Amino acid sequence: MARIVGIDLGTTNSLVAYTDAQSGQPKCVPGPYGSTLCPSVLSIDADGSIIVGEPAKRRLLTQPERTIYSVKRLMGRGTADVQSELKLFPFRIDAASKNVIRVRLGDKVFTPPEISAFILRELKNWAEAFFGETVDRAVITVPAYFNDTQRQATKDAGKIAGLEVLRLVNEPTAAALAYGLHEKQRGKVAVYDLGGGTFDISVLKLISTSEGDIYQVLSTNGDTHLGGDDIDNLLQAFVHELILQHDEIDFSPHGELAQELRKALINVKHQLSQSESATLRFPLPSGKVFTHQFTRGALEALTKPVVDRTMAPVKQALADAQLKPGDMDEVVLVGGATRTPLIRRTVQEYFDRKPHTELNPDEVVALGAAVQANILDRGVKNMLLLDVTPLSLGIETYGGAVAKVIPRNSTIPASAQELYTTGVDNQTGIDIHVLQGERELAKDCRSLARFTLKVPPAPAGLPRIEVKFLIDANGILQVAAKDLRNGQQHSIEVQPSYGISDSEIERMLEESIEYAEQDFGERQLIEARTEAESILTATAKALTNPQSASLDAAERARIDATVAALKESVAGSDYKLIRKRIDGLNHATEHLAELLMSSAVSSALEGRKLAEV
Amino acid sequence: MSTVPTSAQAPLVCWNCHERTLGTHFCSSCGKLVQLPQGIDYFSLFEMPRQLWIEMSGLEQKFLQLSWKLHPDNFVNATEQERELSLKRSSELNDAYRTLRDPIARVEYLLAIEGERKEGEKKQQAPPELLEEVFELNESLDELREAKASGTNLAGLKARLESAEKNFQVKLQEVDGELQVTARQWDAALTGDSAARKKIMAKLNELLNRRSYIRNLVTNVAKELGEV
Repeated sequence: MARIVGIDLGTTNSLVAYTDAQSGQPKCVPGPYGSTLCPSVLSIDADGSIIVGEPAKRRLLTQPERTIYSVKRLMGRGTADVQSELKLFPFRIDAASKNVIRVRLGDKVFTPPEISAFILRELKNWAEAFFGETVDRAVITVPAYFNDTQRQATKDAGKIAGLEVLRLVNEPTAAALAYGLHEKQRGKVAVYDLGGGTFDISVLKLISTSEGDIYQVLSTNGDTHLGGDDIDNLLQAFVHELILQHDEIDFSPHGELAQELRKALINVKHQLSQSESATLRFPLPSGKVFTHQFTRGALEALTKPVVDRTMAPVKQALADAQLKPGDMDEVVLVGGATRTPLIRRTVQEYFDRKPHTELNPDEVVALGAAVQANILDRGVKNMLLLDVTPLSLGIETYGGAVAKVIPRNSTIPASAQELYTTGVDNQTGIDIHVLQGERELAKDCRSLARFTLKVPPAPAGLPRIEVKFLIDANGILQVAAKDLRNGQQHSIEVQPSYGISDSEIERMLEESIEYAEQDFGERQLIEARTEAESILTATAKALTNPQSASLDAAERARIDATVAALKESVAGSDYKLIRKRIDGLNHATEHLAELLMSSAVSSALEGRKLAEV
Repeated sequence: MSTVPTSAQAPLVCWNCHERTLGTHFCSSCGKLVQLPQGIDYFSLFEMPRQLWIEMSGLEQKFLQLSWKLHPDNFVNATEQERELSLKRSSELNDAYRTLRDPIARVEYLLAIEGERKEGEKKQQAPPELLEEVFELNESLDELREAKASGTNLAGLKARLESAEKNFQVKLQEVDGELQVTARQWDAALTGDSAARKKIMAKLNELLNRRSYIRNLVTNVAKELGEV
């Protein structure tokens, strides 16, 4: 049977990894641009073709209304859930959407699982090109604190992408698996995982037995709406204010200008992880250039609230595991945002222990997914992962209260049985409302499903129906009912509160196969053209900048010639030629790119391409 | 696979080879994973008597050993029937471990399988010896709510409630201590006559109800104080 891959479906970037048969070590699959990171960005062309990853990311600047990023924030959520996100992210929610969000991209409408499916399909393509064989089974990671509907949405995305999802693994647990192989750790481990859009903390116990290593998760906690994006949002809001003080500008989140500013600020943020100060120089539409000098201290003061918000879940996870910070033998940092010195310092101080950062924080989750894939694939029986459910499962009782039936941090699979009977004679149905969360009232918890148990007419109190709630190894709920009087199994039509129906998934799967029919060469051509378009736009724009006047005539002529050559190749259909000429133009515009940057940052960014500035 | 010595165990026919098998987890003839035999409770799943004092590291080891065998990871390439069975069996194992690991849940479970306590039973009547203190506490809580609504000074009330909370915390510890003593009596009477065991169970049941009542009180007070 074909191999099983491990996939990290991230807010910002996604990766696919496998276990190398010879070394037994997990490795990430490189994409067509050499990087193992596939930006979780999707763009739809005017002709309806789909562009994913790096070329789609470039289109965030040129075609923001046809391009979407951070879609993971919308997975498994309803329109009412995401109102606060809409102020900060350029999501265009279709007016008709209710419990399942529909996002408008150009003239098409997609659900978040469909968009995620395109990203998964891209990674599937990477893996198939790399192995030269079909890949149709995967382990996919999810934030540990994802609820049932968010997990189900992720599983649906896999299905739509033509992947059988054998297991959903929690991201921090995956990271621990990857580190376990790497470091041969024992004892108690805390994994602090701050990604682009989600925060997780997990406490694990690593146990060596005669049969192999067991990774037992003791507790987990987190916030599915807290991540590196929030740091960017704070930074962006701060600079918006400053700019608005001396220029009238439309900073609607959909606009090109906001996207460009965000990109520039992320650059500044990255520089400040390395050096003590960095300067933002941002050309405004008026021709003025906005300049602001940031120190690391100022950035940290600004972003401290985000870091502070991670500490409440950390404390709760430790309390649930009945452990103190000093009980930890190891601390592991995961997620791109943990590169920032403030986070490293905060975590180190709290646990009084230097955290592990040896593995690339962008890759470690995917590597762990590959480890779990290998366990399932080859039946490698030297490791076992015992994970937990992050949230309590409850049933609505009289008066809108919630009775917890499976407490949070229960090892999964986990189950609970509840006995139901009727309250009035000849009652034919019992309404059951299943929820997830820690609050006492149903209205404050996440509604997972409502259904009606059908009961044959009988005197009140006589029917005895046992309902079994089971959370599987993926953290996803299953419900079954049994009539205890005759042992008959009842089938239950569970209408998920926020999910997509099976028939809808079938339809989406068919549609996505149509998209997938585009052959490899065709996709390469589309991507190369998109990339060319993006760099041509960036070059044309750069040449209108006053700074470009200092180019000498020979340089200018060389740029004009390479632009013309690239335009000519785009009209043809040889994607390799287009790629070659893109490289040519990138090379020809290196000096121009440097000119556009402040002298202060140019040294740090030497060798950058124009489209990245 | 060893078998569990329990009188309640019904003979089981293996779903795969149709042999009569006494294996608790795997068929003793063909080795396939089997249904948990009828009447197997959490104690016998872990191959121990219905005792209330449990050595934790032993329980954990047994749990990890069984997890290793029953976990769905082992059955990814098996038939759908075996996958379903492994899901059911490993969830039962996890439920059993979760229950037995917790000293209070363990007593509740024991009383349930002995037929001395109905599922979800919690008497919400105040234990007679606490009546006076509970009455005072509820009065203070009412005053606090009124004071909060009218915005008057809460410092005095707060101090009174905090000391009441402490007082009930102490009572909670006393109940826990009594539970431990009674649990030891239960273990000593395991092989004793049924009348003695019934008496101990009645005591355990009463202690559980008292504990649940006091814990609710403490939670309520803590909540009201937390909102000040």
